[in-house]
Amino acid sequence: MKRIFFSIVIILSLALSACGPLQGMLPGQSVTVSIVYGSEKKEWLEPLVEQFNAEGNKTASGKLIVVESTPMGSIEPVRGILEGTLQPTVWSPASSVYLPLANAEWRKQHGSDLVTGNPNDLVLSPVVIAMWRPMAQALGWPDKALGWADIATLATSEEGWSAYGHPEWGKFKFGHTHPGYSNSGIVSIIAETYAATQKQRGLTETDLEDPQVREFMAAVEKSIIHYGTSTGFFAERMFERGPSYLSAAVVYENLIVAQEAKRLSGQSSQIPVVAIYPKEGTFWTNNPYVVLNAPWVTDEQREAAGIFEAFLLDRPQQLKALEYGFRPADLSIPLSAPLDSQHGIDITQPKTILEIPDAAVINKIETLWRESKKPVDLMVVMDISGSMQGEKITTARASLLEFIKKLDDRDRLGIILFSSEISTLTPLSPLGEKRQKVLDSVSGIFEQGDTRLYDATLTAYQDLTANGDPNHIRAIVVLSDGEDTASAQSLDEVMTQINASAGEGGNAIKIFTIAFGDGADEDILKQIAEPTGGKQYNSSPENIQKIYDEIATFF
Amino acid sequence: MYTPRLNWIFLILFGMAAIGVFVAALLIPPFRAAAYAPLRELLLPPPAPVTVTVLYSTEKQAWLEEVVPAFEQSGANVNGHPIQIELEKMGSWEVINAVLDRKRQPVLISPASMLQIAALQDTSTIQFGRSLVNPADTAHCRAVLRTPLVLVAWKERADTLWGQQPGASLWRDLHDALINPQGWAAYGQPDWGYVKFGHSDPLKSNSGYMTILLMTYGYYGKTSGLTAADILNDSAYQQWFLEIESGIGQFEHSTGPLMQKVIAYGPSTYDFVAVYESTAIEQAENAVGRYGELRVYYPPATLWSDHPFCILDAEWVTTDQKKAAQAFLDYLVSKPAQEIALLQYGYRPVDTSIPLEQPGSPFDRYAANGFRADLSFLPEVQVPPGSALNTLRDFWARNVSR
Repeated sequence: MKRIFFSIVIILSLALSACGPLQGMLPGQSVTVSIVYGSEKKEWLEPLVEQFNAEGNKTASGKLIVVESTPMGSIEPVRGILEGTLQPTVWSPASSVYLPLANAEWRKQHGSDLVTGNPNDLVLSPVVIAMWRPMAQALGWPDKALGWADIATLATSEEGWSAYGHPEWGKFKFGHTHPGYSNSGIVSIIAETYAATQKQRGLTETDLEDPQVREFMAAVEKSIIHYGTSTGFFAERMFERGPSYLSAAVVYENLIVAQEAKRLSGQSSQIPVVAIYPKEGTFWTNNPYVVLNAPWVTDEQREAAGIFEAFLLDRPQQLKALEYGFRPADLSIPLSAPLDSQHGIDITQPKTILEIPDAAVINKIETLWRESKKPVDLMVVMDISGSMQGEKITTARASLLEFIKKLDDRDRLGIILFSSEISTLTPLSPLGEKRQKVLDSVSGIFEQGDTRLYDATLTAYQDLTANGDPNHIRAIVVLSDGEDTASAQSLDEVMTQINASAGEGGNAIKIFTIAFGDGADEDILKQIAEPTGGKQYNSSPENIQKIYDEIATFF
Repeated sequence: MYTPRLNWIFLILFGMAAIGVFVAALLIPPFRAAAYAPLRELLLPPPAPVTVTVLYSTEKQAWLEEVVPAFEQSGANVNGHPIQIELEKMGSWEVINAVLDRKRQPVLISPASMLQIAALQDTSTIQFGRSLVNPADTAHCRAVLRTPLVLVAWKERADTLWGQQPGASLWRDLHDALINPQGWAAYGQPDWGYVKFGHSDPLKSNSGYMTILLMTYGYYGKTSGLTAADILNDSAYQQWFLEIESGIGQFEHSTGPLMQKVIAYGPSTYDFVAVYESTAIEQAENAVGRYGELRVYYPPATLWSDHPFCILDAEWVTTDQKKAAQAFLDYLVSKPAQEIALLQYGYRPVDTSIPLEQPGSPFDRYAANGFRADLSFLPEVQVPPGSALNTLRDFWARNVSR
């Protein structure tokens, strides 16, 4: 009896003093925080997401926090969030500019605010014009303050860089992202408008009716080689392909720091790049951390999102942000290397900002841009061989119709169909005159025969070279589901002919290839696209629409 | 070679150790916290803490976040129940609105100024039939820190505009600089764009509220006797006032975030702001690491904020919470907390035995930036009657608010 008594007492006290956390050890006890964010933060944020997840952070009730992150262009997520097809916990666009617009749209549908409270800034970076240093020097940098007015002058000059003593640089080639998809794009066209009106604030719809504004914008846009969805992408392109591809592009300061760091460490063999802070004024990106006030966000997720936010704002993570070229939100961190002249940066800049216009004015600026932007000369080359039958041909047709709707009346479209034969559905000519006819013809496409991929591509290329306007964005979109089975020309012969005329760097005709389904030869399609500055996509009936959407942002 | 006896000895020793841990954890709270044991917690939960929720204005954040842990760890308790402070920050007027709207039910509130407490006293009496605060009762409502409203600028920009010290017409001079269509080009610096000023949202924050009051007094060149008629009947005043406000792009909801933006975005975004002296002191060092030295200007007449902490007289506040809040208030006005407020964060302590000019004091460190310990030369404007205050707020709400 005594033994049993003692045993019970001892066991009980062992149990009662047994240390250790019980919570969180039960399976299924986790909460997911999904964050959709502007891709220019990718290099800084992604490793931190991994680090945070590995640390095993928990909510107050002991649930494990798992962060899932997806980089995108800043404006892209807005559509998805408003439609409810994208349901993140947190949204972090490049700038707070959109938040009032997103709120207004959301309120129409839901009667409440999507963005509540006062979101904190994660990291800061001003919008700048990245330019190769010798080119900036030719314009008078750093002694002379440069800006949009200088871009406009260069862009309209027929002499290009020869007016500045450098004929070897050719024409002035410029780039910024598509205003419908990316923050730096919308900021660029607002800045162009301010420069055109010579104002820095108080922009009104009346100001935009001055024909000089349209002329100025068209002048700057004339030098654009193409648009695109994300600022990060633009910077990547420019720094990979060098001065013959782009003379300058609108990017964020941190992207220049990253490139110069690569150059200084020997990872990039490009010439130096510098940040030009437009003298007329610029905008800041503040990367707000917005926990959405949406029906799909639970209180637990809100709490977990707050814990992740505190982690990102903590000093070690903010020091890392400085390493990646951001100006930290943690104000106790001074601005120092790599934010320095060695990396093409001037921390005393920017000297002044431009006021953000109200929503009505921004919408009008976007309309003005669509009417003055560079038109595109586009050849679509579509595989209609027998293997395309069924769902493939149906979705290929449907997505091409959607794609055509995104093109403006001023854009010129030609469509070539290939199987055993090559036929022209519609020759290269302005869409405005023939839009309905083209839509009807595309609806009537059906499949049959072999696959003459190379011949068709070459035909389109020759067509565009002969009939395209070198002052337009010229591009070819090739969609194929299989390997070439019947061309007269070989791939090598075709590529030789294409490369022979690819001397104009950024202004060259770009080929985008879409590998549609499993049978398509991705490698060959890549070989066709990449040397021209285009891109190869893997597609299926499920995502073909999205691919076409992305290609559309180039124009 | 071991015997059953040895087994027994070891087992009993181990058992006694376990019992020892168990008993020690019950008697000694820090030991209990270190030796966390889930089953024990289930059977014998620790004494529940008394939670004191505090709604406070944002500029006090850094000071509170430093002194609260020290208070909690000092072993302060109510009848053996440890005191836990839960902080939530917002603009001063947002604090009052949250309580009136019943969106929050805090134990303690601390807007920046007695102006908000007075307004809460009036409105809650009308709305609920009794006042939620009693500012006359020092057991329940205490001023904890003092600081005047000032103008802060980036030194490089301020020196270009004004040099040493602007005169009695500071607000009128500021207005003229702000509306000048040439902006900084008039001073030889076209790259700086327009002269940019900022203050917080007067409907949400105390400093913005005080600023528009000082601006109005400044326009009339007086320091007392402001009436509703001054605001409503003079169209020249209205135009002057709206010209200043139209140049402000955004109104931050509270003083803390406004000053943070000044440092984060630099002179590109704000050349001058109206904030508390303490807020400017708090960021003076950070400023140097970012865009340069700050410069402070004391306006010709100012308003003082004394950061009252008031225990709410409401049905959701228990007696224990009242006692806990009183212990917390005692701590906040005690020498250690008050010295931290001065030396680290630039507040003027309500404890007047603490000298403002001592080694390490910000009035010492930042004298070159224009900060002065002795402000006996600086008059305070008279707080106008409620009707004038409300008229000014309504005028701003109707004509400026965005």
